[in-house]
Amino acid sequence: MNLEIILFILFSVIAAASAVIMITRANPIISALFLVLNFACLAGLYLLLNAQFIAVTQIIVYAGAIMVLFLFVIMLLRPEHDLTLQKKSKIKFMAAAAGIFVFAQLVYIIFFFSPNASQKTSVQSSINSGTIEQIGTAIFTKYVIPFEAAGYLLLAAAIGALVLAKKKFE
Amino acid sequence: MENLKTLVDSLYLLKPEIAISCVLVLVIIMDLIMDKNKTFLPYVALTGFIITAFLVVEQYFFKTSITQNLQKLLVIDAVGAFFKLIVILASCLIVYFSLISKEVKEAFDRHGEYYALICGMVIGMFFMISSADLIMIYLSLELVSLSSYVLAGFTKNSLRNSEASLKYFVFGAMSSGIMLFGISIIFGLTGTTNLLAVKSVMAAGGNSLTFLFASILIFAGIGYKISAAPFHFWTPDVYEGAPITITAYLSIASKAAGFALLIRFITLGYVQQIDASGAWQLVAGSIDWKKFFTVISILTMTLGNFAALWQDNIKRMLAYSSIAHAGYLLLGVVVLTNQGLSAVILYFIVYAIMNLGAFLVVMLIANKIGSEEIDDYKGLGYATPFLGVCMAIFLISLTGLPPTAGFIGKLYLFTALIEAKMIPLAVIAIINSVVSLYYYIRVLKHMFLTRPQNEDLVINTSFAEYVIVLVLAVPVILFGIYFTPIVNLAKNSVALFLQ
Amino acid sequence: MTTIPIEYYLVLSAFMFITGVIGVLIRRNAIIVFMCIELMLNSANLSLVTFSSYMGNSIGQVFVFFVMTVAAAEAAIGLAIIIALFRNKMTLNIDEVNIMKW
Repeated sequence: MNLEIILFILFSVIAAASAVIMITRANPIISALFLVLNFACLAGLYLLLNAQFIAVTQIIVYAGAIMVLFLFVIMLLRPEHDLTLQKKSKIKFMAAAAGIFVFAQLVYIIFFFSPNASQKTSVQSSINSGTIEQIGTAIFTKYVIPFEAAGYLLLAAAIGALVLAKKKFE
Repeated sequence: MENLKTLVDSLYLLKPEIAISCVLVLVIIMDLIMDKNKTFLPYVALTGFIITAFLVVEQYFFKTSITQNLQKLLVIDAVGAFFKLIVILASCLIVYFSLISKEVKEAFDRHGEYYALICGMVIGMFFMISSADLIMIYLSLELVSLSSYVLAGFTKNSLRNSEASLKYFVFGAMSSGIMLFGISIIFGLTGTTNLLAVKSVMAAGGNSLTFLFASILIFAGIGYKISAAPFHFWTPDVYEGAPITITAYLSIASKAAGFALLIRFITLGYVQQIDASGAWQLVAGSIDWKKFFTVISILTMTLGNFAALWQDNIKRMLAYSSIAHAGYLLLGVVVLTNQGLSAVILYFIVYAIMNLGAFLVVMLIANKIGSEEIDDYKGLGYATPFLGVCMAIFLISLTGLPPTAGFIGKLYLFTALIEAKMIPLAVIAIINSVVSLYYYIRVLKHMFLTRPQNEDLVINTSFAEYVIVLVLAVPVILFGIYFTPIVNLAKNSVALFLQ
Repeated sequence: MTTIPIEYYLVLSAFMFITGVIGVLIRRNAIIVFMCIELMLNSANLSLVTFSSYMGNSIGQVFVFFVMTVAAAEAAIGLAIIIALFRNKMTLNIDEVNIMKW
């Protein structure tokens, strides 16, 4: 067993477990912290996949910025600590059953209609595809229009968040 | 460098988008500089929208091919330009509505943000209408959604408002997440996000089951925008809770962009070729869109029409009616022919005018009596005969009775269905129209056949209100009698449809 | 990446996606519902990066970059909506937000 497999098992098991713990905790702060753990493990997996840039961005943007915002809002509002799980166990059961059904379907598709078993490339080209240089070139040449659209998106979000979160106007 | 050069060369194709983004920036800057007096802001936005409308009309006649422009990310063609025109004209009208709306006036200190967000939505919808790449589709969909979540909760002094915004957000974020997962599967299958490239990979022998699964996941995102049946849950609550101007805007512009995206997604990603008779030949092994849309459209219209029967709030009733109309519009997509497409375009012209008109009258009445409950409409036909008669025109047109434009729209849709030999579906649609008669007429019954609650209630209509109501009411009658121009417009748009 | 089959990554991504969907369905706290949606976006990101890396194709990673932008914007808007709602209603429970029928 080499290091790569050990790391993969470590990261993927922690990621899966923390996702499940996240949706079952009553206290939103604990949920948020487990989500941070999940994101950190994903960053590890991205590194295993040779996606250095995305791995770093994952830590900075998701674990760093977005989750801090979540935690900040949770602590600002201090919602009551009671168990806010769905009260009706019937709905809970149905949701879990439907989820397991769809998951089984997905696994079936992944293993038996495997999309690209033939498309494996060399490690070198995989490493090249994840460098900042490659991604930056793609974003600023071929994908410059989506990049501008993303700019509008952030502008709209900034204006919108201000409008909604500002105190009421007397 | 090569990439950037072709981009700069084809930049003239983006004139409307560039114009509208200038308007956006201008509105924000003006709002910041002129701190005291903001009454002119709507006029800035209105002027910008009218200029953009001219640029879009110019675009209608462009004949470009997808390979040469904008790095295959966007398609500029006549059908797209038509939908953009619907969006921009609806935006002009909505700005005008906002000028006379009491709800919006009460939030006067946030006018700058209001018009800026509308501009943001317009940019998003323009990109959505012309996108030919999954990245572009996802980003533009999110741009439209994010702006509209905020606008739905804009006045925010009422609880209804923030509730509408929360529900819109939860459903919207969830369905876009599902759509993103579908996109990731498609990317895995084909190694590209460009719809044309996806089609060619799939035509060369793809994985049909996985492709089918991914297509359905992607439809979740589009279906949410057009409020098709299993994804419609947000519609009644959001339409009821949002300010009326925004409700009207969502029901026209957002839906038009959604339909344009749906048509684009199918024609670029799944249609192998269009044969001489105008029928669309699907790629072998792709999902059977015909059956899929038949089920979805029957569900959508039946659910919309029957749920509308029990509504007491007129905005909620119009919300269900707009779900039903999404079902009718899907009928034009079901047949997968050029005739069907031109019927959709024709119906959209009609639907935009009559639905905006109905919302306008509801808004004017709510301005005066402060209520949107159908029970409070008792005897209003006598208090304000002008608005009453116009409301009657709009509602009769929404039902689809002659001599109004709604009849012409439905006639062409059903003709397209019958030409494609889908008679049972046409019968179901006609039965649905009959059902819809009941709830539209109920409003008119309250307005004209019951005694007013308050005998001496008189509603005065100002000149500005007269003008705008007439601008919408006259075409509904006019196009019902003299319909050749709009029929020709619809046919021409499809004739210039880019392959 | 030479030794681990691509299917393992995809199954993990599918598992996270389904967990997120179940979370949206069973949780009633609006903030946790948003976190579940973030989890769904991340599962899609994982499969995009996996495909992109196994195919040596950087489009997938460009897409992930855009998805992160969207996620950040969405989180800002979503949390602002929650704050606005909390001011009016003093609750984060979605079930209690029901002046209008669901």
